Amino acid sequence: MIERQLTLIMENKPGALARVVGLFHQRGYNIDSLHVDPIKDLKKYEFIEKELDIKFHENEISKLIIKTTVADSLMRQILRQINKLIEVIAVSDNDSTYLKGILRNENLL
Amino acid sequence: MKLAGNDMLIQSLINEGVEYIFGYPGGAALHIYDAIFNQKDMQHILVRHEQGATHAADGYARATGKPGVVMLTSGPGATNAITGIATAFMDSIPMIVISGQVQSHLIGTDAFQETDMIGISRPIVKHSFTVDHQESIPKIVKEAFHIATSGRQGPVVIDVPKDLTNPDDLFDYEYPNDVNIRSYNPPVEPEESQIVRVVEALKEAKRPVIYAGGGTIASNASEELRELNNYIKAPVTNTLMGLGVYPGTDKYFLGMLGMHGTYQANMAMHNADLILAVGARFDDRITNTPEKFAPKAKIVHFDVDHSSVSKIIEADIAVFGQVKNSLKQINNKLKSESAHFSDDKYADWHKQIDVWRQEHGLDHDMYKNLDDSLPVSPQAAVQQIYQSSGGKAFVTSDVGQHQMFAAQYYHFDEPRKWINSGGLGTMGFGLPSAMGVKLAYPDEEVICITGEGSIQMCIQELSTCSQYKLPIKIFNINNLALGMVKQWQDMNYDGRHSSISYEDSLPDFSKLAESYGHVGIKITKNSELKSGIEKALSLKDELVFVDIYVDPNEHVYPMLVAPNGSLKDMWLSKGNKT
Ligand SMILES: Cc1ncc(C[n+]2csc(CCOP(=O)(O)OP(=O)(O)O)c2C)c(N)n1
Ligand SMILES: [Mg+2]
Repeated sequence: MIERQLTLIMENKPGALARVVGLFHQRGYNIDSLHVDPIKDLKKYEFIEKELDIKFHENEISKLIIKTTVADSLMRQILRQINKLIEVIAVSDNDSTYLKGILRNENLL
Repeated sequence: MKLAGNDMLIQSLINEGVEYIFGYPGGAALHIYDAIFNQKDMQHILVRHEQGATHAADGYARATGKPGVVMLTSGPGATNAITGIATAFMDSIPMIVISGQVQSHLIGTDAFQETDMIGISRPIVKHSFTVDHQESIPKIVKEAFHIATSGRQGPVVIDVPKDLTNPDDLFDYEYPNDVNIRSYNPPVEPEESQIVRVVEALKEAKRPVIYAGGGTIASNASEELRELNNYIKAPVTNTLMGLGVYPGTDKYFLGMLGMHGTYQANMAMHNADLILAVGARFDDRITNTPEKFAPKAKIVHFDVDHSSVSKIIEADIAVFGQVKNSLKQINNKLKSESAHFSDDKYADWHKQIDVWRQEHGLDHDMYKNLDDSLPVSPQAAVQQIYQSSGGKAFVTSDVGQHQMFAAQYYHFDEPRKWINSGGLGTMGFGLPSAMGVKLAYPDEEVICITGEGSIQMCIQELSTCSQYKLPIKIFNINNLALGMVKQWQDMNYDGRHSSISYEDSLPDFSKLAESYGHVGIKITKNSELKSGIEKALSLKDELVFVDIYVDPNEHVYPMLVAPNGSLKDMWLSKGNKT
């Protein structure tokens, strides 16, 4: 098992972070580290705005970085479970990204 | 239009077309209940316990496909509903649960009847909302209904602090026409390339099985499934949650599969070379040991939920989308490929399945030729209920042996008629869920097949049935014990019966029902079985509680051998396995 990094873009709403953290516990995965920040520099995420035809405002969305140590086979399942959370706009691991529910085979974040 | 928060909430429900609210009032919900009092479009059903409200809303949702709505007060009102919310969550049932909360400025102070409902319910809801301002109420309700009823369905909680329902604070009210949640986008149409692969796999297959579950019902795809099998004529099995999605009396139907599935269904799955999993999730009650599951089969998995696919069993072909849309696309392809699916394409396979059926299939004629020197068998009781109701009733159930007998011996030809807690296995579900079904379909026969253990978990709802005149027919398969637990103790603990009997403390159920104003019938011998059941069903306007004393030593078979068994490893009768 190796340590992996997940990146999430999600709505910056009360309770949203608890859903992500709760999911790891419910499904029996461990969080090694967690970092969360409201996004100030939205430039980097213009491609999401374009793709989804929406407009982000300052501090409206957050970026989460989670490090976790799991087997390969579980990684896909974690990604899919996170993608299911209603407030998650995008989630990536090294090889793939769910962007609003649709899977891409590259790390867009 | 200007409205206060309490009226906004109720008006939003009316705008959603809600007919019934199942609930129980209390301090934090008083403003909301005043708004309920002041309208005529919806009826509030006062249950006797909040668990009953959630199961009733759940039964309504399963029978109609529309979301059930629950109203609760804060604290104990909210916590009493947790079992029912979890039940709906595990079976992906659309439900809206509105809980009153203490006033905003008291949140976090351990105020009277304060519990963190959002926190407590978080792992058992699809999503939840806290109302932060009156003006967001219509949007939140709209989003809640959208989330509950789209994608993989499920319960949604809306927690409403009391001050935000204050009748004196008025705001502009307009119910939104559309909903668009920018971070939520469940799949609908499948990718065509996958559909092509499925059709190719079907052409190559020699021993295919269709394994359809509750997701097929949730997606209202019963017709599409039947059409699919008109083209390919493969054997079909259903999960406990899927019964009725394919006709139970069809010649291609194998019966239920899994833990207490039929011999032919489990054998067919084990020996299949292609499994079409349709809205099913490879639950551990289906797969037995996953490593030994269907060793020769290619797996095709149709599901709306990415995280259900390849979670337990790796899918060779994954078809993401609403099951209904995916099956429609398959059917469109199959229409033009009929040359590849001649009537005898799978003839050898059907022959093999018939052999299995002959060898160890269930005996569906036990209700004939009964003899008073023997106790009533629970199987015969269910068979007689099936015969006397013409197989057309809605049947709700509880959890235990009686539930499995009902699933095995009542054949459902239509979806949404078999209503039971499959995922959570909640004792107490049967009676309140039957109330929700009966309110939705007052002219249909609604039967609850229960056990003397389960019925006592929500028996207070007999009073609700009396208040709202709900003539449900309750058949209590009374084996004087927590029969399913006893069976496990017989099989795995050398018959050490730990805490499964009530000794002589059971009430006389027929008298108990009478004291609520209902009709009670007691059946103790085989010669009373048919007449007692027919009499109950003939009393159209009465709730009838039929207490059927059955053989206390009966077991449910087949039963998968566990741990480490595969689907071909089954107990077939006491002491006798494959
Ligand atoms: C709320 C709840 N508690 C405990 C269980 C565990 N359990 C499963 S079946 C069963 C026995 C049910 O007894 P009864 O309703 O009489 O049905 P029988 O098996 O006798 O037909 C129990 C205790 C459960 N499923 N639900
Ligand atoms: Mg019992």
